[in-house]
Amino acid sequence: MSRPDRRVAIVPCSGIGKTYGSVSREAAYELVEDLRPESTELVALSLLVLGDGEARAVLAASPAVTVDGCKLACATKMVKGSGGTVARAVDVLDAYRRNRHLKPRGIADLNEDGRTLAHVVAGELAEAVDRIRDGQGGDDA
Amino acid sequence: MPDLPRRKVGIVACSGEERAEGTVTRRAALEVLERLRPGDTVTICLPLFLAGGEGDRAFARFYPTVTVDGCEKRCAAKATERYSGKPAAAMIVTEIAKENGIGPIEGPRQLNEAGLQAVSATAGRITDCVDVLLRSPRGGIDPMPRDTAAPPPGSSEPVGATCACGSGLPVRTVAIGEMPVPLVALPLIFEQFRKAGKGANQSTASELLETVRIYNSLPDGAERACAAALLDEYAAFLAEEGATP
Repeated sequence: MSRPDRRVAIVPCSGIGKTYGSVSREAAYELVEDLRPESTELVALSLLVLGDGEARAVLAASPAVTVDGCKLACATKMVKGSGGTVARAVDVLDAYRRNRHLKPRGIADLNEDGRTLAHVVAGELAEAVDRIRDGQGGDDA
Repeated sequence: MPDLPRRKVGIVACSGEERAEGTVTRRAALEVLERLRPGDTVTICLPLFLAGGEGDRAFARFYPTVTVDGCEKRCAAKATERYSGKPAAAMIVTEIAKENGIGPIEGPRQLNEAGLQAVSATAGRITDCVDVLLRSPRGGIDPMPRDTAAPPPGSSEPVGATCACGSGLPVRTVAIGEMPVPLVALPLIFEQFRKAGKGANQSTASELLETVRIYNSLPDGAERACAAALLDEYAAFLAEEGATP
């Protein structure tokens, strides 16, 4: 069943020491601010680490799409550990493997390839959000 | 002293994605890690205290740690203390901004001018804490107000931020009395002692105690029990390695 009113929680990793963490953050911003502002909501991972009640309530009410920048998959683990449902887990490294011509660099400031990869990931996130809202669920649902 | 990683200060930023102040914490931490004190600082992603292993959770016990929060919820400070170790210093961007007459900070994705000023002021405050901690014996400090502004971003060539994510500081748990105590770097210390040909005897016990103390807080008033436990564990380690205890 289609659920056009359904907001989707977007949880990017907080990766601070690696380029792909910055890519996940930038992709989440592009999704939430530019691509699907009406249907998505950003949830900060740090709030989940602390067990913040409001953040957990958002996850209890909304399916989540996680964006991880490394194999440790903190965002996905934290959503599951917070009682949320991961409808789709997006791995930036997978997107990179499909776009090996891009050479992302930088953490505080992504280079052009990093921003391009973030744009690619944001597009995948938008598709995942649309599928979830159309009632098709996510790949990991 | 064993050949352990040289002493550095840990920086844990909340990185809160939904607030501009969260972006300030991230950029200020990176400013220190990449430009201002690249050789003296290391960082870890906050979620790893839960999503990572015991080695990740040992972070704040191994490195004197400065936490940087964007708001009064103090996620980084509280989570670090709860899951890893008490931070040596803690700061909040909203307070630093207020003290410096900066604001309002806007733009989580693209900081406005006030946000960039807050990055500079916060980076300066972190740097002050790092310098004090590197000069001080192990212990906490109260972050001091900064008299001079931090160098502007771009004033020196950045290097890659040193990330401890998943590096897994080696930990070995020792029973001291009835209490299991995870001790950071103990496997490295044991290995160093073994290579130096030190046997499991009384003179080694006191040496082990002093070395372990550099990287760990041991229970107060339990020196004798600690030394005995370390000696037993070292003897077991030598046996595991096939060496003569």
